[in-house]
Amino acid sequence: MPFALLKYGLSSKYPARRHFPKATDLKSAYDVVIVGAGGHGLAAAYYLVKDWGITNIAVLDKGYLAGGNTARNTAIIRSNYLTPEGVRFYDESVRLYQGLSEEFDYNILYSVRGHFTLAHTDAAMRTSRWRAEVNKHLGVDSELIYPDEIARLCPALNMSDDVRYPILGALYHPPGAIARHDAVAWGYARYAGDRGVEIHTNTEVTGFVIENGRVTGVETNRGRIACGKVLQAVAGSSSRVSALAGFNLPIRTIPLQACVSVPLKPFLDQIIVSGSLHVYVSQSDRGELVMGGSTDPYSLYSTRSTLDFKEGLLGHMLELLPFLGDVKLVRQWAGMADMTPDFSPVMGKTPVENYFIDSGWGTWGFKATPVCGKRMAETVATGEPPALLQPFRLERFYEFEQVGEKGAASVGH
Amino acid sequence: MKIMNCPLNGPRNISEFVWGGEVKEMPSGPEVSPRDWAGYVFIENNIAGVVREWWCHVPTSFWFIAERNTVSDEVIRTYPASEVFNRRVEFAAPAKGETK
Amino acid sequence: MTSMVETGGVNRLPDSFGRLIDRKRRVAFSFEGREIEGFAGDTIAAALAANDQWVLSRSFKYRRPRGILTMAGQDSNTLVQIGAEPNVLADRRIIEPALGVMGQNYDGSLEADRGNVIELFGRFLPVGFYYKTFYKRGSWKFWEKIIRGRAGLGKVDLAAHHGYFDKQYLFADVAVVGGGPAGLSAALQAAEAGAEVILIDEWPALGGSLCYARLGREGDAAFNLAEKLAAQVKAKGNIHVLSDATCTGWFADNWLAIVKGSRFYKLRARSVVMATGSLEQPAVFRNNDLPGVMQGTAAQRLIRLYGVRPGRKAVVLAANDDAYGVALDLGDAGCEVQAVVDLREQVPETAMVHATRGRGVPILAGYAVTEAIPGTAKLGILGAAAARIAREGETDGAAAVFECDLLCMSTGYSPAGQILHHAGTKFTYDHAANMFQPAILPPHVFAAGSVNGTYAMEAVLAEGRRIGWAAAQDAGFARGTEPPAVTGDRGSFGQTHAWPIFPHKAGKDFVDFDEDLQVKDLVNGIADGYDDIELLKRYSTVGMGPSQGRHSAVAAVRVLAKETATDLATLSVTTQRPPYVPEKFGHLAGRVFEPERHTAMHHRHHELGARMMVAGLWYRPAFYGKPEDRDQAIREEVQAVRSNVGLIDVSTLGGLDIRGPDAAEFLNRLYTFTYAKQPVGRSRYVLMCDQTGAIIDDGVACRIHDEHFYVTATTSGVDGVYRLMLQWNAQWRLDVDVANVTAAYAGVNIAGPRAREVLAKVCHDVDLGPEAFPYMGVRLGSVAGIPARLLRVGFVGELGYEIHAPASQGEALWDALMAAGGTAGIRPFGVEAQRVLRLEKGHIIIGQDTDGLTHPFEADMAWAIAKNKAYFMGGRSIAIQTARPLTRKLVGFTLEDPSAPVPEECHLTVRNGEITGRVTSAVRSPTLDRVIGLAYVAPDQAAEGANFDIKIAGGRLIKGRVVKLPFYDPETKRQEM
Repeated sequence: MPFALLKYGLSSKYPARRHFPKATDLKSAYDVVIVGAGGHGLAAAYYLVKDWGITNIAVLDKGYLAGGNTARNTAIIRSNYLTPEGVRFYDESVRLYQGLSEEFDYNILYSVRGHFTLAHTDAAMRTSRWRAEVNKHLGVDSELIYPDEIARLCPALNMSDDVRYPILGALYHPPGAIARHDAVAWGYARYAGDRGVEIHTNTEVTGFVIENGRVTGVETNRGRIACGKVLQAVAGSSSRVSALAGFNLPIRTIPLQACVSVPLKPFLDQIIVSGSLHVYVSQSDRGELVMGGSTDPYSLYSTRSTLDFKEGLLGHMLELLPFLGDVKLVRQWAGMADMTPDFSPVMGKTPVENYFIDSGWGTWGFKATPVCGKRMAETVATGEPPALLQPFRLERFYEFEQVGEKGAASVGH
Repeated sequence: MKIMNCPLNGPRNISEFVWGGEVKEMPSGPEVSPRDWAGYVFIENNIAGVVREWWCHVPTSFWFIAERNTVSDEVIRTYPASEVFNRRVEFAAPAKGETK
Repeated sequence: MTSMVETGGVNRLPDSFGRLIDRKRRVAFSFEGREIEGFAGDTIAAALAANDQWVLSRSFKYRRPRGILTMAGQDSNTLVQIGAEPNVLADRRIIEPALGVMGQNYDGSLEADRGNVIELFGRFLPVGFYYKTFYKRGSWKFWEKIIRGRAGLGKVDLAAHHGYFDKQYLFADVAVVGGGPAGLSAALQAAEAGAEVILIDEWPALGGSLCYARLGREGDAAFNLAEKLAAQVKAKGNIHVLSDATCTGWFADNWLAIVKGSRFYKLRARSVVMATGSLEQPAVFRNNDLPGVMQGTAAQRLIRLYGVRPGRKAVVLAANDDAYGVALDLGDAGCEVQAVVDLREQVPETAMVHATRGRGVPILAGYAVTEAIPGTAKLGILGAAAARIAREGETDGAAAVFECDLLCMSTGYSPAGQILHHAGTKFTYDHAANMFQPAILPPHVFAAGSVNGTYAMEAVLAEGRRIGWAAAQDAGFARGTEPPAVTGDRGSFGQTHAWPIFPHKAGKDFVDFDEDLQVKDLVNGIADGYDDIELLKRYSTVGMGPSQGRHSAVAAVRVLAKETATDLATLSVTTQRPPYVPEKFGHLAGRVFEPERHTAMHHRHHELGARMMVAGLWYRPAFYGKPEDRDQAIREEVQAVRSNVGLIDVSTLGGLDIRGPDAAEFLNRLYTFTYAKQPVGRSRYVLMCDQTGAIIDDGVACRIHDEHFYVTATTSGVDGVYRLMLQWNAQWRLDVDVANVTAAYAGVNIAGPRAREVLAKVCHDVDLGPEAFPYMGVRLGSVAGIPARLLRVGFVGELGYEIHAPASQGEALWDALMAAGGTAGIRPFGVEAQRVLRLEKGHIIIGQDTDGLTHPFEADMAWAIAKNKAYFMGGRSIAIQTARPLTRKLVGFTLEDPSAPVPEECHLTVRNGEITGRVTSAVRSPTLDRVIGLAYVAPDQAAEGANFDIKIAGGRLIKGRVVKLPFYDPETKRQEM
């Protein structure tokens, strides 16, 4: 029994300490207004405080704390990307994640599981080798492995030839991990809140004050506030908010659905992804199988559930893990993903001065939370995005310099 | 599952259709600036509200236009593309030499 | 023993009870290895209760013993393991002979779980405890294993095979979900109006609450009504009843998911009536989770449905009139009711209250049960303590203790509105009824009965009729007269107590049984700052267990409202997501149908010993021979083509017929080349880019007539290309017709120096001479009497003819050519040999030698771009990109060191530690006897003769040298023979 829990058991009264400050009135002005109190926005607030000493910050959110995609994602963390710029970026994220619980004194239940991207076709084998080679070249642990090795590492998988799409190999990424997604946001929020950052939930941004091409204020359903800088971090609603600031994005909003099973005793340690079968699955510490697939077939600003999603997903799940026929699915849900043409995020400057953007996260936003928060904080504080973010600038589309992640992206969780 | 009313085949499950994105006007002519062209190719209006989109009924390969609310997912109206695109489109011959 | 067998268990009631069981058929099964006998129709929990086995499982966190709570499959207390099947609802699964049932989540035995020791440490495990510790110095790795091992409920068996599951579609004018009084009368009225009705009910017998509850002093009144309504429904030809079927979800446009046995139904209805009833809610007090504490309706179900006495001595915790029905039923079943403890200060003197008093049962008005007194090892209860309510949630004064082994809770309901939630119904809290009630219903969705807040039986029946009629009318049926609107008291008042929550200073007052959450866990979570219901859910896990908050959601939001001094009417319960009850993966998967496409020659390939490979939906021969002889086979196939003659099935290639006066103009707009002046009888390469300028497909366009092109496309690309063509022409309105004829044609390529000689034996109506039918020529003719399109193409770099013939005659075509080539020693070759052959000729494969961003200049295909076209797809983007510096270029290469290993596809090309590109294709050429390949390199390393580094396996660098393409037959004489 860890010492930290003794105080709870030995005190006569629960030693509550609010993790987040109680709601207050909005001030008339802030140095930085962050739109979106999800993992990214809260992480940016945290690093603005920690790295740059900026505390006069308001984080605004239309809903409850971290209730958007942060609350809905399937919490996979990895850095086995295809492009060098992607690998470097996510590798920094993985490193930050590894020390995060201790850094902000909140256990995010970071659990290294090993990540397997299964290949069922020649083309998938090639892409897997490509990713493995790029990863290794940049010092990230990934390897293309073959059926014998897969069977040894992951005995639950059906390695039979007698299925429609037999497993030919896999991209094996040992550092692949899962974490408690809500806890990541709460940990950042608690630290930032303790140091003066104001978090205003149920506060909807309705417009921006832009003078001579520079943002100077934010209109909300609770009134206008002046600001020095704005950071927009509202993946899923990026186009809606950027439209309020007067510019469009290379983004389509597409739902991404997921579901969980009734809790089971642990039997699957690994994170399994199959691009060809549109499946990914891991087993949480609670014992639930957390599952998802590809994004929905058309754009929608809604988190409704569909039956077709579940039917397709589970059909393929049982190809990979055929013994799960009698296991039960208990809940499904959806988030809204910002899909970009090159399957890469959009971060950095915008056509509006002092207005910075963190968007285009597709289905990979959660795994980027720490690095994006840290580097966007740097961008906001200095006014210049660091080199790590340059490849992901909005301007790249006008320069025909897309990021080359397209090759690896059919199911990229 | 949603039902989509195909102007050719009538109401069908939406799984029979493929979404073709928003109906956009292509800026034509070689004089269109790289920036405007990039805007057409990459940038989306992505409106939360009623949009005009391409849909294709896959079994019959029939493309048509739907007006759909992207928040409620309500399909307000569907009609043949010929309602909008009702005459032959011609492209101007290029000026001499290749443009940038 | 004998008497027990005769009665089906010590707690079995006489024949007048037990509507769902057949006492003539005994069924023996085992529980925890012990043989148990019940009757056909018993659920596992009922049969166990009949045999005095009350502990069914262990709880998630504290491993507390748990037993029957609802008898309706609404809770997780009864989850058991049956063989390889985990988490089976023991109160819904019907017993079968030899069923082997085990409890879950214990170490040792169900009744003596070593893991229960955790409860002693409960005070050290506050809400969200795992966020607060276990992470210092990487210690989570250690703690995680312990916590993971304790979490989870049932076990899976990796060797299990899932059984048979299938699916069926259903269609109805009106679907009615729920076969209780509201649903039955709605179905009857909708059918009366002329609608085809499907009625979905979870239970084996129609009637819903009428089957077990009491409508008043007369014990049989409810059941008689159920029988009457069920008989009327049965008599209606246009009502189809799905019994034992659970509607698990509503999806867009009234698409209902229904589970029945091993079948999954998908029902499309014009309108839907939700008559799903309500869920009785547990009261909260200390030890409210122990076996022996159950809902009043659970006790009634045991008695009336299964003929099982739920206890010997009982206390009823009441807050509504139904509680008195429970007391009367218990009395009828021979259970001695010690007291009714009524939360209400004023107990209305209804008929049932009066009857209860008449039986001498003491009624304690304004009292609450403060705790259940646990028996040995908490396997049951010994009594209930009750005390006077001082103020909301608090009692004072001495507690009276009543000896009992059964404590029934009848303090209120919550609408079973989950499926209405799926449909987007908003629920708001009604302070008068103390319940959430549906506020605004979506179009084509209706609600009737207690899910809609209507409880009084006359009102329920009237509302059912009224709503059934409205639903039928909505679906377009309006026969008969409209039933009158429901007026007067709907009976929602007095059903549900505003605050049936009595926290105990010693805890174990559970709000959420699934997750072992006590009142203080929620209070403390709120104090920690998680003061929004969604945050509280995520932090405390309230409502996240298998029963998805069916019994905890309302209590949790009540606690939140109180702790934050917020009006309940401004709050809502957490979002309800499908499914309403858990669905098996097997149900959702069904019989997985994965389409396969076979070419016309598929069987011939098998006969010839082909190893097949997946190509999209198709299967294609990779090579012919045993797997262990792969390399040798490929080499021989290559040699056959180079030196003799080979035959490959190319039927999977896409084929598009483009006809009309604008056919050439159409191709001009879609492909990068020009086609207006292409002569009839000639083919020309086609390269397609998307609007960003990236290469997406290629093939050849054969001009068969001035106004007719036959265009080939890649196997995986053709459907997309076809769709794109149609979408563009929907805008351009050119005078063309586009047909995807891929499936209509089989195709072969006969290639090699002796191809003409072989083909000439079976093709007599086309002059095959090199002048008459030159390279890139296209002819119509016949081969072995089969009408065919003949194309002279050069993908493999030898004299060759692609022959496209009707798919129905593909096998005959193959046979004819194999026979004609017999003396020449013709050899079939597969995709692997073709890849080598085309690489020797330097031809790219789209998708292998290109990626999602490759533009033509990068792929060194500037030659395929027309210079002076008005427009072509991607043209503007290509022009913009060509004006920018190239960042990579695709080159042919060989290795400086002939003995170096063959690089694998996707090994990197590097310079000074930076990645410059990758190898896209590489092979040791059997023809040239050296390594050849294609790779992306930096543009300044792309000149012929330039060297570059390739990083191969193990990180070793080897030198590649850029060579001019093609590697083989640089003058391309052979294909033009």
